[in-house]
Amino acid sequence: MTFYSLVVLIPLAALFSNAFTHGWGFFWKAATAKEALSAYRLTITCSLVAALVNAVAGLGTAWVLVRDSFKGKAILNALIDLPFALPTVVAGVTFYTLYGPKSPVHLTLTGTWTGITVAIVFVTLPFTVRSVQPVIETMTFNAEAAAATLGASPWRVFRTITLPTLLPAIVTGAGLAFARAMGEYGSVVFISNNLPFRTEVASSYIYSLASAGDPIGAAATAVMMLVVALCVLVVVSVTSRRLVKGH
Amino acid sequence: MGRSPRWLRTLVILYVGLLVGVPLVFVFQRAFAHGAGALWTALQDPSMGNAIGLTIRVVLVALPVNTIVGVGAALWIVRHPSWLTRIIDRVIDVPLAISPIIIGLMLELAYAQNGWLGRPLAALGLQIIFSYPGIVLACIFVSLPLVTRQLIPLLREIGSNQEQTAASLGAGPVRIFLTITMRSILWATAYGVSLTLARILGEYGAVLIVSGNITDLTQTLTLNIGANFENYNAYQGFVGAGVLALTSVIILLLLGVARHRERKRHEHLA
Repeated sequence: MTFYSLVVLIPLAALFSNAFTHGWGFFWKAATAKEALSAYRLTITCSLVAALVNAVAGLGTAWVLVRDSFKGKAILNALIDLPFALPTVVAGVTFYTLYGPKSPVHLTLTGTWTGITVAIVFVTLPFTVRSVQPVIETMTFNAEAAAATLGASPWRVFRTITLPTLLPAIVTGAGLAFARAMGEYGSVVFISNNLPFRTEVASSYIYSLASAGDPIGAAATAVMMLVVALCVLVVVSVTSRRLVKGH
Repeated sequence: MGRSPRWLRTLVILYVGLLVGVPLVFVFQRAFAHGAGALWTALQDPSMGNAIGLTIRVVLVALPVNTIVGVGAALWIVRHPSWLTRIIDRVIDVPLAISPIIIGLMLELAYAQNGWLGRPLAALGLQIIFSYPGIVLACIFVSLPLVTRQLIPLLREIGSNQEQTAASLGAGPVRIFLTITMRSILWATAYGVSLTLARILGEYGAVLIVSGNITDLTQTLTLNIGANFENYNAYQGFVGAGVLALTSVIILLLLGVARHRERKRHEHLA
């Protein structure tokens, strides 16, 4: 407990205390500065798109990993975890070079929202796959088989039986991916070019404030981001619990 | 029934291959771009060597600490439930949802020389921020829950019947832990420890803030890669990136082995 306090709780308290050093008004002004607002907008948009992409792609990937069998499936399965194992800065410099000004594949995404989203999709790839995969594994075929025997088309079986069963896991995975995406730094900072008001993500803005000697502004923005991340986690956990019950 | 169509398989392989496979191959391709001789020279770069040394010294402290704390916390939360453990169980994942930049900022505010904890420590002659202890602290924070969250569901599932039997037969707590608990949680722990290792080796944002990023002194390997890249020394950066990418492939193998063993143990019990 002392350990948790020293490592997590006291630093967290220090962050809040610094954010409100000059009172609520100052906090609000710093946390809603124009540059901060455009950073939030960019971060939330890209994270949301990435979470949606991952929800769809993750479902497909998990499905193939469980219900299909082919040579090299083990490699595919192992590759899914690579974004967790690969340092974000390695991903960052790789994406910058692969899709940068001197791109070997002639695709330049540096300084664009697309580039940022691609980096985020990479980093958060494992979340939905790994949350949906175990649920597909435990799913029995009975309901699907019954529906098919009664003449339901594969699409209808998927829509009315498969998808509702998997939805809580998809929401959980996508929510975790979104929360992670909101705070991403190392993989995004190179490809984004970091242009204030245009391609500067929230973490990068906080870093620039902190290194420019404005710890209070940085703390205020950080508190704002923490509150958003926390809200996302709460909404996700409530939604997925509701979905489980509803089913 | 419930088959997976062939087009989906092709699509998924293409997607994962393009998104993950291509970048991985690209890192190694860049590291070898100027031949083995150039690679050998680049690997002997003194600053990168210092960065690797520092990273290893950080791992040697942060990894055992988080393993012991992680196993201890999981046992405590599952075996001695109270209002406090229920709260901790709820918020255990929070460090994973906080941006590494914010984690670095939090630690800096608390442990800098004018911070709440930094001031008394500075009076004792201990500098945390911009030095080795700060980097260790940041790495411990970012990977804190990774072992615990693997173990909590497992410990709940296996229950404590065997442990109680052993205790009634007169076994001491250390012996019970080593002969019974440790056996059932070994591979899940290995999985969590591998994830922790990956996270410590790869930490960038939090370490960037607390370390001060001083070349040869407080620069970890990830920071060294970033610095080389920003200083138009992309090749050297990619050599460092290749070293880390190789390590993460090894970690992936460890994760695979741990997952496989854990599944076997599970099937064996069933």
